[in-house]
Formats: sequence, C-alpha cells, structure tokens
Amino acid sequence: MTTDETNGEAVEETPPDTFEGTLWPDVNRALSAVDVRPERGALDLIVHLPRKDVIRGLGMLKHDDELHFDYLRSLTAVDNEDEGVDVVYHLYSVSKNHNLTVKTTLANEDKVLETATTVWQAANWLEREVAEMFGVTFNGHPDPRPLLMPEDVDLSDVHPLLKSHPFAEIDVLQGEGLGHDRDAPGDV
Amino acid sequence: MSTEIFGIENVNVWVDGLIRVLLIVGFMTVVVMGLIYGERKILARFQQRLGPTRTGPMGLLQSVADALKLVGKEDLRPRNADPWTFELAPYLVFVPVFLGFVIVPFVLDWQIRILELGLLYFVAITGVNIVGWIMAGWGSDNRYAMIGGMRAAAQGISYELPLVLALVSVAMVVEVPLADGEVARGSLNLNEIVASQHEVPNIVWQPLVVVVFFIAGLAELNRTPFDIPVGESEVVGGPFVEYSGIRWSMFFLAEYAALLIMSLLFAAVFLGGWAWPAGIFTDEDWPRWAQALLVAGKASIFVFMVFWVRASVPRLRIDQLMGFSWKILLPLMLAQVMVNGLVLVYDWPEIILTVVGLIGIVALFAMVDRAVRQPRQRPASAAQLQSEAV
Amino acid sequence: MVVEAPSEFETQDLLINVGPQHPSTHGVFRMVLEIDGEVVKDLVPYIGYLHRGAEKLCENNDFRQGIGYMDRTEYLAAHNAELSYVMAVEALGEIEVPERAQWIRMILCELNRISSHFMFLGAFGIDVGVFGTPFIYAWRERETIIDLFEEISGDRMMYAYFRAGGLAWEVPANFENRVREVLASAQQGVKDFDGLLTENEIFIARTKGVGFISAEDAIEMGMSGPTIRASGVPLDIRKTEPYLFYDQLDFEPITANGGDVFDRYIVRLQEISQSIDLIGQCLERLQPGPITPERMPRMLRLPEGEAYIRTEAPRGEYGVYMVSKGGNKPHRLKVRSACLSNLQALKQMSVGQYVADAIIILGSIDIVLSEVDR
Repeated sequence: MTTDETNGEAVEETPPDTFEGTLWPDVNRALSAVDVRPERGALDLIVHLPRKDVIRGLGMLKHDDELHFDYLRSLTAVDNEDEGVDVVYHLYSVSKNHNLTVKTTLANEDKVLETATTVWQAANWLEREVAEMFGVTFNGHPDPRPLLMPEDVDLSDVHPLLKSHPFAEIDVLQGEGLGHDRDAPGDV
Repeated sequence: MSTEIFGIENVNVWVDGLIRVLLIVGFMTVVVMGLIYGERKILARFQQRLGPTRTGPMGLLQSVADALKLVGKEDLRPRNADPWTFELAPYLVFVPVFLGFVIVPFVLDWQIRILELGLLYFVAITGVNIVGWIMAGWGSDNRYAMIGGMRAAAQGISYELPLVLALVSVAMVVEVPLADGEVARGSLNLNEIVASQHEVPNIVWQPLVVVVFFIAGLAELNRTPFDIPVGESEVVGGPFVEYSGIRWSMFFLAEYAALLIMSLLFAAVFLGGWAWPAGIFTDEDWPRWAQALLVAGKASIFVFMVFWVRASVPRLRIDQLMGFSWKILLPLMLAQVMVNGLVLVYDWPEIILTVVGLIGIVALFAMVDRAVRQPRQRPASAAQLQSEAV
Repeated sequence: MVVEAPSEFETQDLLINVGPQHPSTHGVFRMVLEIDGEVVKDLVPYIGYLHRGAEKLCENNDFRQGIGYMDRTEYLAAHNAELSYVMAVEALGEIEVPERAQWIRMILCELNRISSHFMFLGAFGIDVGVFGTPFIYAWRERETIIDLFEEISGDRMMYAYFRAGGLAWEVPANFENRVREVLASAQQGVKDFDGLLTENEIFIARTKGVGFISAEDAIEMGMSGPTIRASGVPLDIRKTEPYLFYDQLDFEPITANGGDVFDRYIVRLQEISQSIDLIGQCLERLQPGPITPERMPRMLRLPEGEAYIRTEAPRGEYGVYMVSKGGNKPHRLKVRSACLSNLQALKQMSVGQYVADAIIILGSIDIVLSEVDR
C-alpha cells in the first residue's frame, strides 16, 4: 500500500485543507479558466468541475505541459439518487506519473454531457457503457450503440446501474428457511 | 508384366484388373484406418498425451469406432446448397486419389498396372481433386467454405509446379538398361525408376529434390504447415464445414489415402523402393515379403515425418504460402532441372548432382531465413496519419 | 486471338461473422469482418455475451461477499482481481495489513501471473496453427500451479482467499517448498516454449510486423499491461505506483520496441521468467507472523469515501473504483477492465491485415471475456 499521501479526514477541528503536497497548485493553474473545487480522495486528488466546462477542462489538463494527462484510466458514473449522477474521470500521466480524478454532477432530469472522445480515444467504449447503464447521453459520440446490454432490451427506460433499477427477484424454490440474513455478521 | 495372378495363368485381363483393384481397395482401407490411428497416437506422444487408449487393446479399434459413428450419421445438405455440386464433390476428391493407386509399385512386378507414363499419370490424376475441393467450397453455400475452397485451389495449383518439376528432375536422370547392353536415360515408368536404384537410392543424387518434394507434398496433402484451407482455428473445417457423415468421411479418407500414395511414391522414387539395399548384396531381388517390409518401412519414414511436422510447426498464411512456392521453390526446381540436363548432355559425373543438391538445400534455408527476418514495412500510426492529413 | 482482360475487376466485399461460437475467440466474442479477398477492410466487435452485472451485484453484497464476484470477473488471474478489491476496502477502511500477508499475497499474485501467461502461450499456439503441442505444454505447467493453489485455498480457479486485512487462513506448512517446486517446473516450461516457438521461422513470419500499434496510439487508447509494454511504453504499475512491497523488489518492466504480435508474445514469455525471479525474492523475505490484523470487526462497515485502486494484473491495469457511503455494502463498485481497454484497439490493429492475422491479433491481446463484460 502506498504510504505517501495522508488521507484527508473531514474532522472539524483541523484547519481548512490547503492541499499542499498534491497536484492542486498545478491543476488550479491549468484550470484557471473554469470553476473548480478540490477534494482529497484516498489516493488521488479529486476535482469537481461544472458540467458545461468538463470537456474543456479535460482538454486543458491533457495539453498542459506540466500536467500532461495523456492517459484516461477510467470513465464511469455514480448514481447518487436525488442528487444526480456523477460522471467520474480517472486521469494519469505516463510521462509524469501522477494521477487526478475529475468529477462532474449531472442532474437527474438532464443527463446530457459532451463526449470526451475528442480528448482521448479511450473514452469511446467507456462512454458507451455509461450511456447504457446510467442513461447519460454523450453529445457528439461517434458510435452511440449499447456496449454490453443485449439487443432486445429497450434501452430508453432500462438503465441497470441506476439505484432505481431493482435487483432481480430470486424465487426460493426449496428450503424456505435456509436463506441467509444479509445483515447478520458473517464468518471471516 | 505377366497376366498371371497368384500363379493362375492367362486370366482375362479385365478379371485380373478387377481382382487387383479389389485387393488394393481392401488394403487401402485397412491401412488408412491404421494411419488415422497412428497419427492420433504419434501426435499425442509429441504432445505428452496418450491418444486413444480405451477402444480395444491400446485403442486400436478407435478408427473402426469412428467409421461406424460416421456411417450412422444423418446426411445433411444445406437447403440452398446446389445439390449436384454439393453431392458430387466428395466423389471428385476421393476417386482421383484412389485412381492414383493404379501405378504405385508395391513390390517387384506387383501393381495394378505398370504404365510407361506412370509418373505423368500420377501427377495428372491427382490434380483433379482440386476441382473437387472447389466444388465442395462453392456448393456448400457458406462463406467460410467458399474461402476455404478458394484457398485450397490456389495452394494446390501453386504447389503442383514444384512437385512436378521435382519428379521430372528425378525421371530425367534415371538409368534404364536397354536390351542391347546400352543405357538409356530418362523414364516415367515407376518400375524402371525403382529398379535403377538397386545400388544407390536417388536421395543421394538429388537431396534438394527430396526436400522440395516433401514440402510440396505436404502442400498437396493440405497438411500443416500448409493446412490453411482447413485451418481449424479460422475457417473451421474449410470447404468441408457443411458436410457430415459418410460424405465427410470420404474427404477424410481421401486425405489419408493421398498421404499413403505420397509416402509410397516417396519410397519408390527417392528411397529405392524394393530394390535398395537389396541390390548391394545380391544381383537377384529379395523375396516378396522382404520387399514388402522394406517398402513399408520406407513409406513409414515419410509418414512419420509428416506427423512430426504437424505437431511442431505453426501454419503459414496464404500469401506467405504462395510466395514460398512461386518465389523460392519454383526457381530452385528450375535450376535443378537445368543442372540435371547439363549432367545428362555433357555426361558429367553424377557426384556433381549431389554437390549441387546440397548447395541448393543451403540456399533454400538461406532464402527462407532472409525472407522471414526482413523487417516488414510498418504502417504509419493513426496519429501520424492524422497530423499529416491536417 | 488475344483477349483483353478487364483492367479493373469488379469485386465485392464479403462480410464474415466470427463468433460468438468459434474455436478462436477465447470466449464468447463476436466480430464482423468486412474483407476484400483476404484483406480486412473493417472490423466491428460485439461484446456483452458474458455480461452478468457483477458491478450491480456487488452493490447488494457486503465487503466480504464481493470477493467472490471479483474472482469471477477474471478467472484466469483471480488472485490479482481479489487483490484490487481488498486493497480498495483496506484503503477506505484504513486497515493495516500484516507483513506476512502482504508477502504471501505477492507470491500468489505472481504465481497467478505465471499461470495466466502460460494460458496465453497455449491458446496463442493454437491460434498460430500449431495443433495442440504448445497447448498441452502450457497445461502441464498450469496444472502444477493450480494444484498448489488448491492446496492453499481449496479451489482450483475461484479462490476467494484474500480478505480485507490479510488472508482467509494460514498457508500450508510446506508452502515454501511447494512454491520452489512449482518454480522449477515453470522454469522448464519457459525453456520448452522458447525452444518450440521463438526461433521457428514460420512463427516469426506469422507474427513479426503483424498487428502493429505505436506507443502514442496505445496511450491514447488507454491500453495497459504487456500489450502496451510491447510497444515500448514502460508502464508497469508495480514499478510506477508500487503497491504491496513491490518497491522493495529489484526488477525492471519488460518492454519491447516492435509493437507487433511477436513482441507481445516475447514480453509475456519474459515476464514469466521475471515473475519466477520475483517470487524467489519474495520467498527470501517471507517471515513467520500473523496474517490478519489483531482486531478485525466481523462485519466491515466503512466510512464515507472513494478510492480508485489499480494493480498490475497479467492482462494490464485492473482497477477497482469503490465509493462507500457508510454501511456494509459499497455504494458503487466499478471494475476497470484491462481487456476492455485493450480490445478497443483491435480494429485499429487489424484493418489492412489479412484475415488470418486478425485472429492472431485478437489472440495476442490476450482477452478474457469475463473481464471485458463483467
């Protein structure tokens, strides 16, 4: 386990975090044209960008000489139910060997975002998966087909990874009393 | 050849032919089943497995079991397959191969027929099975089959040439003793070719030709590394993908019968058949059973090498395969024919042939090595292309 | 009479469908090739045949039950998959892992890397056309490794042996000797493969110059693992962002600068030797000790937070992005699959090559569909 960065703990007694020792100063400089808010994650720095500036910001991060985030590690989304859907980008720089997490929040009624394929080709399939699993529309995506879902599912209203989509109902056919209680403590 | 068979004289020539044909059919079927079993066992041993062990003692009845299974299968035909092409294709593959057995010299004076143009007949008749492959590929109404059929045709035609030239270069220098004590050179009669080797087998005089014959033979048999028409991991089964049951087993049988013919031919033309090393010890020929064992042993060498290559070597791609035949094997064989001709015309000592042959083998390996290790033209990366286009 | 051939033949492109049932697609994968003669003009991959919703299922299972799902997303390198997951749980819960458990985890992950690369060598041999000989050699080596895994965790493939905080139970008493036996036989296996394939002219002719991808394109597509290292990029997470105790070991990422299929094969072959060496180094440093922290809660409840933990699985970067909002189940679990990112580049690598090459290129990326589809 890496032991360099300390985990930021949101305890009221400590002074406000100046994000020293992380990439924040450089990121702040690179993204000076947009509204950005930092946060500490367990391993990397997290920055929050508003929806309209996300792709622009990502482009700036990629082409900045000091930061040079040329590698998109992962592109995914998190469903926060009422607060909307967060789209999360994990960036890495091969030449400088540093990481950054970029997040943006989409309101539930308006899950539309520009595509990141203009910045990294790697975003292609990753965005297709987010689109079908969370119902996010990526404007300008070159190939907006479903990736993993079967062809006979109507994807206009079925988005499996949203919290509103239920888990499968499992019929217990035998031994009604044998199911285990999921909240009870289990063995090691 | 006398028209006596098993001591009965003056048998009607048609009856005589029929009896020989039936004997050969029976022999061939048994041997082919043995070859299939042998391949599975030998391949398994190369791969650290055991092969068939359960059906019969040591799995010997495996081929019989397979044959019974295939015979019992339903005879399917895809609905859109052309009925005549689809159903006649197995015959056009199997029958020419079987007809090739007519001239194979098993032992002295024992063949179905001795033909003066034996080698020519062999080459001509085995060329017909390419038509059968194309028919199978086309008639199956299946893209994979069509691709496989076309590949098979391209490969078969390309490798005919080195094969034929290999046989020609041997036939050119064969010594045939004439009645008046003179020696004529050149014969297509397989009996004479074998008889001429009673002291020295042809492999000594024509080492390069042996190597090329082996390679071209592998290609004609559609065997690894030339099995791209039946490339199992790509076009699964090739032109035979839609066949099942007896029709499929006829293709399979034809493949192994062709292997058998090639190996017997190899033994006859290059290793001296039933005449060598008998000619070293006595002036007369050995008894029939010894000759049969000799021929069987020599044919087994070829068969074993074919299996060995199958277990060890990857598959060539179609363009590499064609390039190899046209750019490497064909020029070498043309050169060999020319050298043979020079030796014939100017009556040079035959040791020149051996030396030239060995140099030729070295040249073959050198050419292949150079072609393989040549750095390939690297396509420009997408980023480069984009930056150039912009 | 001379017949003039038409100067341009009218040809038609052929659409062939490879898969999802096919001996060569390494699982249920489908690609539609548009070919002109033998040259591939276009390639469209279709995935999702093995999608089982692992990420959604993990949201309904607590932090111990999720380990089994991670096994099944990458069944050929299950230890590496479990490792990312338990490391994410430990990062969020700030759980300290005892040293002995870390070293054993490293040994098991490297052994899994060896067995996974042998699987690649075997399947690749079949793709190239050698009928089965490399496959059986590979299986012989894998069997020794899998037997060892069975002695340790009770399972040949889906181990569920790592736990948040350490290991499930102590390894058997003869662990070190068994590992050394396995290493000796793996060493011999590498020699066998090297002798069979590496210098074979036909193999070289089939694989050199085929399926080229440049370093810039590979980085742009987000590729990782031996596939990107074969293009010359020394991206090995064990070296660039060390986890466990990889910073104490002495090794360099293995790269090649050809970027073609042959280089990917060579990189993996050499990585087996490198892993054998790393395991040797780990065994020297292995000390007796506890394998779980002293006070482990029976039911893990993690505080709020998120972590993206990446480890170097045999196929590339296997990342686990875990979001926890308190409670005993993750709020979101995202598996960053190396094979999915590597597979995106398939079209780029294959267009302009022959059909037979497309199969080999697919084999050289070394995908396992359960990781692509989760």
